[in-house]
Amino acid sequence: MAREKVGALIMLLFSISYGLIATNIPLTFLSQQETFTARTMPYALAVLGVILCLAILVSPTVDPAGKTSLAEETAGMDWTTAILLVITMFLFGISMKWLGFIIASILFLLAGFYILGERRVMYMLFAAIPLVVVLWAIMSLLLGVYIAPGEIFYKLGIL
Amino acid sequence: MWEGMFSGMMTGITTTMIPVNIAMVLFGCFSGSLIGMLPGLGPITAVALMIPVTYGLEPTTGMVLLSGVYYGAIFGGSTSSILINAPGEAATVATALDGYPLARQGYPGKALAIAAYSSFSGGTIAVILLMFFAPMLASIATSFQSADYFALMILGLTAVSAFAGRGGVLKALLMVVFGLMLSTVGTDQTSGVQRFTFGSLELLDGIEFLLLAMATFALTEALMIVLKRDASSDSLDPKTIGFKSLKVTKKEFKLITPSVLRSSLLGFFVGVLPGAGATLGSFMSYGMERNLAPPEEQKKFGKGSLRGLAAPETGNNAASSGSFVPLLTLGIPGSGTTAVMLGALIAYGIEPGPRMYVERPDVFWGVIMSMYLGNVFLLILNLPLIPYFARLLAIPRKLMVPIILFFSLMGVYLVTFNDFDIMMMVYFCLVAIALRLMNMPMAPLLLGFILGGLMEDNLRRSLMIYDESMSFMWERPITLAINLTTIFILSLPLFRSVMAKIKQRT
Repeated sequence: MAREKVGALIMLLFSISYGLIATNIPLTFLSQQETFTARTMPYALAVLGVILCLAILVSPTVDPAGKTSLAEETAGMDWTTAILLVITMFLFGISMKWLGFIIASILFLLAGFYILGERRVMYMLFAAIPLVVVLWAIMSLLLGVYIAPGEIFYKLGIL
Repeated sequence: MWEGMFSGMMTGITTTMIPVNIAMVLFGCFSGSLIGMLPGLGPITAVALMIPVTYGLEPTTGMVLLSGVYYGAIFGGSTSSILINAPGEAATVATALDGYPLARQGYPGKALAIAAYSSFSGGTIAVILLMFFAPMLASIATSFQSADYFALMILGLTAVSAFAGRGGVLKALLMVVFGLMLSTVGTDQTSGVQRFTFGSLELLDGIEFLLLAMATFALTEALMIVLKRDASSDSLDPKTIGFKSLKVTKKEFKLITPSVLRSSLLGFFVGVLPGAGATLGSFMSYGMERNLAPPEEQKKFGKGSLRGLAAPETGNNAASSGSFVPLLTLGIPGSGTTAVMLGALIAYGIEPGPRMYVERPDVFWGVIMSMYLGNVFLLILNLPLIPYFARLLAIPRKLMVPIILFFSLMGVYLVTFNDFDIMMMVYFCLVAIALRLMNMPMAPLLLGFILGGLMEDNLRRSLMIYDESMSFMWERPITLAINLTTIFILSLPLFRSVMAKIKQRT
C-alpha cells in the first residue's frame, strides 16, 4: 500500500475519533439555542477531514514520492539510535524538575553524544558543560530569568 | 498616500536605527546564516529556534530579529547547497543545481560570491517593491470586516495547498484541517467551554504555538537526520574547502545582471502570492532563465552556469521579502516561515492584519526598513566570513544533533518552565515524523494551527452580524471577490490535470 494511503487511512480514523469526541463537548443551556456553538467548528473539521481522507484513498497516487510503501521508505533507517534519543528526551523532561536545569541538560547532551557514537569523554565534556553553563548564565545572570534549582538539592539539604 | 508612505518610512528608519535594533539585525543575519548553513535545517527551524530569544524583547525588535534570521537562513542554506550539495530546505535546491557543479570545478569562492551578490540584489529590489506595495494593500485592507478576514484566511489556507505541487493538494489540505483541529484544543474563547482537554490542566490554554513549531520542525528535522543516516557533514574536511578567490569579474557581472533583475521581479510577485513562498520563487526564476537563455548557454545549465546560479538565488531572496506583503498587510502568511512569524506576532500580543499598519506602524515599517540594513549586513559581513562559516559544515552530526535537540527543548522550556511541555513536544515530534514518513507536508499543518483560532472567531462574528446566515460569503463585493479567487485557486490543480490529459491525448 502506498505510504500516502496509509497516512490517509490513519488520518481518517483520527478524524472520525475527533468528531466522536466533539459530541462530548459540554454546552451551556444558552449556547444550545445558538447556531454556532463550541461544537460547530470541530464537527465541520471532522467532516472535512473525513472527506479529504476518502478523496486521497479513492484517487490515484500522482506524487511519485508518495507511491512508495512505508516498508520501502523506512528500509535502512536508523531506528535504534532515533528511539534511544526519544527515550533520552523523555528522561530529560522527567529529570528536569528533580535534577535542575544544569545537571539535567549536561546529562542529556552527554547521553546524546554517546548514543550517536562519540566516545571521547573529555571532548564530550568540553562540548556539553560550557554550552549549558553559558546558556544558564545568559538566562539567569544577564536576562534575569529565574530558573528553579532541582528538587534534589532541597532533599539533600544543600539548599 | 505618498505622504503616509514617507512618514512611515521615517518611522521605520527611526525605529531601525536605534542601537538595539541594529544589533538585532546583525545578530539575526549572523545566527540565521549559521543555522541555515547546517545541513537539514532551513529558515522555518531557524526562526522557530530564535523565537524564545525574542520573548523578552519589544515586538518591533523581536520581529526585526526574526526577519534577519529568515533571510540570513535563506542565504546560509545556499552555502551548504553550493559547498556540499546539501540544501537546508527546498528553497535552495535550485541553487545547488548549478552552484555545486561550479564549486566542484574549483570555484567555490566565486559561486558563493555570486550567491551573495544575487541574494543582496534580489533582497534589496524586493524590499523597495515591498515598501510600495505593502502600504497600498494595507490601506485598502483597513476597510475589511470579519467576513473578509474569514474569506482571506480560507484563501490563505487553500493557496498553500494549491501550490503544494503535483499530487500534493489533497494532502496539504488534509494537513491544514489537522492543524485547524489542533487549534480547537483548549478553552473556547467565546463560551468558555473546554474542548479536547481530557481533564488536563496543562491543555486548558490550548497547545502552545512555539511548542508545535519546534516539535514539527526543529526536533523532527534533527531526528530525520539520524533516521536517514544523513552524514553529509561527517565526510567533509574543512581544509578541502578552498577559496581561491571571491572575486567576480566585470564580464561575469554583466552576464548575470539581467537575470538578477528579472528574477527579482518574478521572485517578489511569486512571494506575494499566499502560499507560494521562496521555493516556488527560486524554481520559477531558474526555469525562466533557462528558457530565456540562448541554446549555447542553455547547455551549461545544471553544469555550473552562472546565470543558473544567480537566478534561483535572487528569486528565493526576493520571494522571501515578497512573502512579507500578505503577512504584514493581511495577517495571512505567504510561507511556512512567515506562518511561524505570524504566530510570534500573536504571541507578542499584536493582532496581525490591516489594522497593524495603522496601530503599530513601528512594527510594520520597522521590519521593512530593517530589511535594507539586513541585506547590507549579509553582504558586507557574511561575504568575507564565508570561508570561516563553511567550517561549520564540518561539525559532525554526533555533536550537532544532540545540540539541536537540546536547543529546541530548551527553547520551549525556558519560556513556559513546564516539564509537561517537553513531553508534549516529544509526542508531537513522533506524530510529525510519522506524518512525514507518510509523505504529508508539515508547513500547512502549522499554518492551519496558527490561523485556526482567528478563523473561528471571525466566522462566529460574521454569523452574528449577518443574523446567522451564510450570506456574508457573497453580500459584500470584496468578500465575494476573495471567495471567487479562492475558488479559482482551488480549481487550478484540476485545470492543470485536465490540460495535461488533453495534451497527452493530442
